[in-house]
Amino acid sequence: MTPQELAGYFKEPLCIFGLKADNKRDALSEMVDCICAEFDLKDKEIILEMLLNRESLGSTALGKGVAFPHGRTLAIQDLSLLFAKSEKGIDFDAVDKKPTHLFFLIIAPPQDTDNLYLQVLGQMVDLIKSDASRKRFLEASSFEDLQAILGQEGE
Amino acid sequence: MTEQKEDQASLLVALQDLDLMIKEAEDTDTSSELKGMGFKLDGLAELRLARDNLAKRVTPQLLNRYERVSKNYDRALVPVTGNLCLGCFAKIPTSFKSLSGKAKILTCESCGRILYFP
Repeated sequence: MTPQELAGYFKEPLCIFGLKADNKRDALSEMVDCICAEFDLKDKEIILEMLLNRESLGSTALGKGVAFPHGRTLAIQDLSLLFAKSEKGIDFDAVDKKPTHLFFLIIAPPQDTDNLYLQVLGQMVDLIKSDASRKRFLEASSFEDLQAILGQEGE
Repeated sequence: MTEQKEDQASLLVALQDLDLMIKEAEDTDTSSELKGMGFKLDGLAELRLARDNLAKRVTPQLLNRYERVSKNYDRALVPVTGNLCLGCFAKIPTSFKSLSGKAKILTCESCGRILYFP
């Protein structure tokens, strides 16, 4: 998957540049609210429960201020990627114990048989590995900024 | 092809989500891929416990039905999109949609999978 293809999964209504939550559950809830509002989904609690269960399998905060909450649920129809940023940072049980500022939430339906969500997840994890890339995402304050970052990464 | 209380359908969806998560965590290829990205998957015992607790909240009759259908298919529950069962792509009677709103648990008449109306 190319950075350009990855960029296609970012949607403006699914970007939160100022997460209000100050704990893990509330942060996930806020992100799921955004997804449910965008796709007019009725089963918010199912999605939230799935993400919390995924966190109990092992925190999706990989350290250096970045987390990738993810999983599959029947409650969603298409693969969705949500970007969120918290200025103050959230305790997300990161491996390095540091607060998490950047969130890339990826949810896929079970019928995603090509494992597209693993490809998107892998690409996103790779992309955010460099200090420079993380810095750019941390500084982003608009959807246009995100598109510019993803465009740069594809060059 | 009917019955059940309002939240039973949601419980069943959550149960299948959890079963899929456990299956993926147990799958060598998927877990290797996730671990390669840096994710830890050491809470499998907790997930299994959560699964057991969730299963207790599903009525025995429905749980039995779910587990019976699960033996025949990868996923017992499938979504209905555009009046099609996404398990076998058979057409679903239009009346099913309104019945699902009345908290009925419906089954595809063609393949026997349990239907979920997003």
